[in-house]
Amino acid sequence: MLMTLIRRELLDNLMTFRFAAAVFITLLLVVAATAVLIKDYERRLVDYNTSVETHQQNVRKRQTYSPAIVRVYVDRPPNPLSLFNVGLDNRLGNEINVSPWHVPSLWDAQMNSSDNSFLNIFSSIDIVFIFEVVLSLLALIFAYDALAGEYEGGTLRLVLTHPVQRGYILLAKYISAMLCLLMPLLMSLLLALILLTTSTSIYLTTDDFLRVGGIILASVAYLSVFYFIGLLISAVTRRTSTALMLSIFVWGFLVLVYPNVVLATTAPQDTSAERGASAFGQIKQIWEEFDRERKHFLATDPVPGEDPMFDIDSPDGWGAGDGFSENRLTLSYYYWSVLYYNGKLTEESLPRVPHAQNYYGFLWRQIIDTADQTWLIRRQTLEDIFVKPALIDRILLKLSPVGMYDAATQAWTGTDLKGLQDFFDAVRQYQRTVIAYLYDREAFKSRLWFASDETVVDWDTLPQFSFERSSIGTNTKRALPDLLLLLTINVVLFTIIFLIFIKSEV
Amino acid sequence: MIWHITKRELYDNLNSLRFALTTVLLLGLMLTNAVSHLREHPKRIQKYNEAVIKSLDGLASHTDDSLYMLAQQGPGMLYKKPSPLYFCAEGGEHLLPDVVEGGSPFGYSDNLRGVWKLKYPDANINMKRVGPDVTKADWAFVIGYVLSLIALLFTFDAVSSERESGTLRLMLANSVPRHTVLIGKFLGALISVSIPFTLAVLLNLVLISTSSVVHLDTEAWGRLGIIFFTAFLYTCLFLALGLLISTRVQRSAVSLVILLLVWVTFVVFMPSTLASIASEFSPSISSEPRWKRHNEIQDELWTKYDKWLWTNRTEKETLTAKSEFFTKDAEAEERLNREGLTEKVAQVQYARAITRVSPATLLQHLLESFAGTGFERHLQFVENTQRYARQLREFVADTDKSDPESLHIIGVREGMTKKKILPETVPKFEDTLDFNKDFNTRAMELLLLALFVIVLLSGAYLAFVRAEV
Repeated sequence: MLMTLIRRELLDNLMTFRFAAAVFITLLLVVAATAVLIKDYERRLVDYNTSVETHQQNVRKRQTYSPAIVRVYVDRPPNPLSLFNVGLDNRLGNEINVSPWHVPSLWDAQMNSSDNSFLNIFSSIDIVFIFEVVLSLLALIFAYDALAGEYEGGTLRLVLTHPVQRGYILLAKYISAMLCLLMPLLMSLLLALILLTTSTSIYLTTDDFLRVGGIILASVAYLSVFYFIGLLISAVTRRTSTALMLSIFVWGFLVLVYPNVVLATTAPQDTSAERGASAFGQIKQIWEEFDRERKHFLATDPVPGEDPMFDIDSPDGWGAGDGFSENRLTLSYYYWSVLYYNGKLTEESLPRVPHAQNYYGFLWRQIIDTADQTWLIRRQTLEDIFVKPALIDRILLKLSPVGMYDAATQAWTGTDLKGLQDFFDAVRQYQRTVIAYLYDREAFKSRLWFASDETVVDWDTLPQFSFERSSIGTNTKRALPDLLLLLTINVVLFTIIFLIFIKSEV
Repeated sequence: MIWHITKRELYDNLNSLRFALTTVLLLGLMLTNAVSHLREHPKRIQKYNEAVIKSLDGLASHTDDSLYMLAQQGPGMLYKKPSPLYFCAEGGEHLLPDVVEGGSPFGYSDNLRGVWKLKYPDANINMKRVGPDVTKADWAFVIGYVLSLIALLFTFDAVSSERESGTLRLMLANSVPRHTVLIGKFLGALISVSIPFTLAVLLNLVLISTSSVVHLDTEAWGRLGIIFFTAFLYTCLFLALGLLISTRVQRSAVSLVILLLVWVTFVVFMPSTLASIASEFSPSISSEPRWKRHNEIQDELWTKYDKWLWTNRTEKETLTAKSEFFTKDAEAEERLNREGLTEKVAQVQYARAITRVSPATLLQHLLESFAGTGFERHLQFVENTQRYARQLREFVADTDKSDPESLHIIGVREGMTKKKILPETVPKFEDTLDFNKDFNTRAMELLLLALFVIVLLSGAYLAFVRAEV
């Protein structure tokens, strides 16, 4: 019986103009968007590869530690799944300095891109956005007359004269509509994947395909919410024209108006400036304390004067500099120091070299400790200033299914905040490794820190940075809350519709 | 007769659910818009005023020192004045830089300092913000997206539902010309959409103009008038489209489905898809070749100057050589900066031209221009700064000329007048909006929009005249 009903509904839906038109539009948009997104990804990948190469060269051509360590950069590779939901992947910085004088964070990253930055005034679209807008509309178009049309046409009465349970009718309608919605979804995804395989630079792993499966799952849950909303309106209003009108308004509100307007209505916090200033003051104080100790060390060491270069001289050229660097916006404050001598040192400098070695050994231990100490304050404050308001915004957006869908797909693609934080965690981990490596070689207090007159540094043993996107299990865990939320809404809506439909007079 | 039909349509619409929902939605949106503008605009103004004061202080301190300091240090930061009509169209203002730098003379060595030049910052991408992307709920959004959708909702069944229920046949049985029916329906829908929209706009403007924090002058009201007219034209376009499809299609449900899909394609997707296609196919711009060229020019100038220094010339000749070195170098850098900007602007202009296929983009461009925000406005600002730079350089040269004791060698302390200059005589930068210019550049797009409306209306007319009842 259920099969007969489903077949009838399916034929009803499939043979309509609305279905054909919607499929056509979806395919067209997805293909156009994918072609553009692939090109964009390829360009970002080229930028990334060149940047990695340059950064490595920059380190390798130095003969001493000090000028090289300053130039150790880590690049963030573009995420191939950003085609589906670009999230923060394109927006946050993609190259970051990992010098030991500060703990690298998301907010210290820079943007390395060959793109014309003015082109950012155009909003970009991704595949999930197309589904979000077009398919949700299609779901409502399928649903608005599902019950109201039958009430009006009297066919419902006809069907119910047969010994059919009302729940079956609902179920048949739901299943057939979802099958019809799945078709454009899967077809366009398939086309997108075919286009992806034509590109030589994009490699999707098995895990990536599973993640795309996750996106499909989220899409189905999202579309089903909209179908149920349409069905509910259809069951309550009982008239197709009213149902259609109301559905479009609800759609316009949920998809178009709410996500754009809600963030404008909430007042941004004004306390962040004070919070930032006080944390910055604290950080500065810690570094000032550090500076006192540094000066004390210089004053009490056997070489007179407070010169961190110890009057060492090289006829072949040298470079030096030190000082404090600050950025109030990102609460970044640190002491930097670079010193190097190319080639031979002068005879009279040689006795001072051990003192300099001693000083730099002390200095860098201090710098690293102080950086760690300030990081505790800095991390907390950055979280409060930047992350917390962002989380509140996200929660507000989640009052519409669009927000939930967006969050769930971002979690699958790994372009959400957590996915990007994973990268910066890996960067911090890498910095730890580099510092451990330097300690291990006693680099800070070695002569090689600044002078290349005896030997040069062998850079082959320097640990390399590698980053694996979070495992599919982690993605699932992150996507699950939103997915469950969508499913719960589905269940609630279905129950309501079921109750209304059971009780309704035909 | 037209009036009869219009009145009938109007009564029909005013009692309907869609009218109520439209009113609530538009009022809510415009209220949000006004509230958020009143909250944010004072901050923008304050920031601008503080920045301008700081920049003028810098200018005054250079002037106090000497004409040489002014010629060397330049005007400092030149800021873009925030438009009071920011709430009409945000126009990507948060991405566009609001400053052009006229300063930072290059220090070749401790006693060699070049002269100032204009420097154009890149678009500011906020990499610190980790929150979701926000579109501003400005008028451009309300009109471009919401009002157009509403216009379609008011006309999708205008003809097809009457045909379905048979009332169309009844009406045409009377001796009513068909075009009268169509115009009556069009006017009826137009008035019923205009009522909630006008109410919402009035609410918005009352809130904004009565508050003490935002000041709207006569010109701003003129601009608002044109914006309102543009919105009206844009609504007409979608009403005409609705009528056209409604006449061609037998069932109103099918009509709405077609209209929605057309709307989604043209309004939601077309602007961003076309822009990204256009920008993907424009070559990437690297500043490296420009820097290389600058270095070459600098080297060339330097060798020339060096030669001058080492041949025994009079002091005046050495000073002239120095001055030439400084000014030519600054000129070259400024030219390269401008070329870089022009190259980037050309790409954006190209993308903007392509997206003009969509009426939503036309509206966005028009609203941006008349609100004094967005990309065209930014270019106007850049032009203003360039004009000011010329003006200031002329001022320095003229002031120097008026002193007979001076050697008239600009850019070196010894070669310029030592006389005090009056701070009031120094030209100050004031960013202005030129209404006539905005209107002239946008007249084409306004006409294009009007043309769209006429084409669609005549299409609807032809379809209706030939339609079988």
